[in-house]
Amino acid sequence: MDKLATAWAIFQGLLLEAVPFLLLGVAIAGLARWAVPPGAWIERLPKNPVLAPIIGALMGFALPACECGNVPVARRLLASGAPMGTAFGFLFAAPVLNPIVLASTWAAFPDQPWLLVARPWGAFLLAILLSLLLVQLPETQLLATALLEERRMSQPLSNLGLLQRSSGVIGGSPSPPRSISGKRLKAFQVLDQSCREFLDLLALLVLGCVIAALVQTWLPRSWLLAVGGAPTASILALMLLAVVVSVCSSVDAFLALGFAAQITPGALLAFLLLGPIVDLKLAGLFTVLMRPRAILITAIGASLGVLLIGQWINLWLL
Amino acid sequence: MLKRGTLLLLWGLTLLWSLHSGRLDLLLRGVFHGLVGVTGLVLLMLGVALLLKREKQDERWRWPWLLSGVMAALVLILPPNPSFSDLASNRPQGLPDPPELAFVLPPEQRSLTEWVRLLRSQPDPDLVAGNPVRISGFVWRQPQGPPLIARLTVRCCLADATPAGLAVEWPESFSPQTNQWLAIEGTMGVQTRKERRIPVVIPKNITPIARPERPLEP
Repeated sequence: MDKLATAWAIFQGLLLEAVPFLLLGVAIAGLARWAVPPGAWIERLPKNPVLAPIIGALMGFALPACECGNVPVARRLLASGAPMGTAFGFLFAAPVLNPIVLASTWAAFPDQPWLLVARPWGAFLLAILLSLLLVQLPETQLLATALLEERRMSQPLSNLGLLQRSSGVIGGSPSPPRSISGKRLKAFQVLDQSCREFLDLLALLVLGCVIAALVQTWLPRSWLLAVGGAPTASILALMLLAVVVSVCSSVDAFLALGFAAQITPGALLAFLLLGPIVDLKLAGLFTVLMRPRAILITAIGASLGVLLIGQWINLWLL
Repeated sequence: MLKRGTLLLLWGLTLLWSLHSGRLDLLLRGVFHGLVGVTGLVLLMLGVALLLKREKQDERWRWPWLLSGVMAALVLILPPNPSFSDLASNRPQGLPDPPELAFVLPPEQRSLTEWVRLLRSQPDPDLVAGNPVRISGFVWRQPQGPPLIARLTVRCCLADATPAGLAVEWPESFSPQTNQWLAIEGTMGVQTRKERRIPVVIPKNITPIARPERPLEP
């Protein structure tokens, strides 16, 4: 019973800390939809497979939020018809490439300049690699069904057939109003849609926090840190810890500070790189963006990429 | 919009109640409390706005909304009551950097966390032997050996709580209960346990106390 009470408290802690960031992300996505009608600037985004994720990753500097807040913004980008590389580049890099996270990393590790360089560059590299990997899949196998339908409503008919626009034509529940022609939506319409989006994402965040709290309560963290100085095992253990702990990228550097002395530098970097891309709390939120297969590819791709970066850092610094 | 308005109102109330009732002191570091309060207020206002703008034809309940509504109600009804000992046992001991001026405090004004930080930075226990100690914390059971007196520190939320514990020479007449909160007055001594000389609190006075309003330390 004690363990259940502890899991309930951890769940509340994780959830109440994440809800403000989720609301911030939805608010920014809503504001962007209202103030900048899709069409004009979306069409100007580069479609080059390498340049698109680079631009997306750099857009992270405009959103000082953790990974929960980035999901609604990435979803809005995809729904508006932005190049997929840009949206995924933003999704994966923005939790690290933003001023708050970089400042907190510096505050936690002022005496480790290599980490201040390696973390943003590692996140940037991973975001580009994951985007390049994901865009190999056709949209129909990559994007969640509802998002795909919304995205197709935003794409010009010169790019796809009328039948591919399966939503909003005949039957089904009425779609929310969209600005297809670049016309500005009314403020209340945007507010209404944003509230709907927030509640949908909140339910998924609740699920993620429940899983994270249960795993944290029944999996002793000391087991994961016991491997300490073994180069590869320490990286794998800290990657698993990052997935389980599910704390925001804005504070994970302070958490890592607590065990930085017991682990290899590669493992420390692995913890700081993987958590913002893959964690239990995010598992539910990602389902509004991607299909399960694409989420699996993201998790495997990110894990392999982080493992390689961690190994390289260990070879270099140990 | 009625359902969405009600849900937003419920979540807004949940967040504001968590702040007002002091539950956040048990869950999150102080710097996040304002953020939760502002979010609660915004959700409350959004909920009211949607309820006032209600349309004649309302949409159906969707399972994610139902789930979120039930969880909000549960959070509102069931306050968090974690086992501090379980949390501490599950985590490695690694404290954040000390706040400024922690080390220049006279010994009797040092908190338990400050004592642990001091002893880690200056591991020779003989340097502090005989110093007066006045600390409070919870009883942290150990898999082997007598329980410690401990505190949890957080950087973000309860999920990253990290324990700081001190050994105590428990009097034979006193039987510490796991998770019990105690105030201890005494002196710092040195004992050899498992072939290591370690600092040990030698209590003169042990008083059971209620859990402090702010049990987590930065």
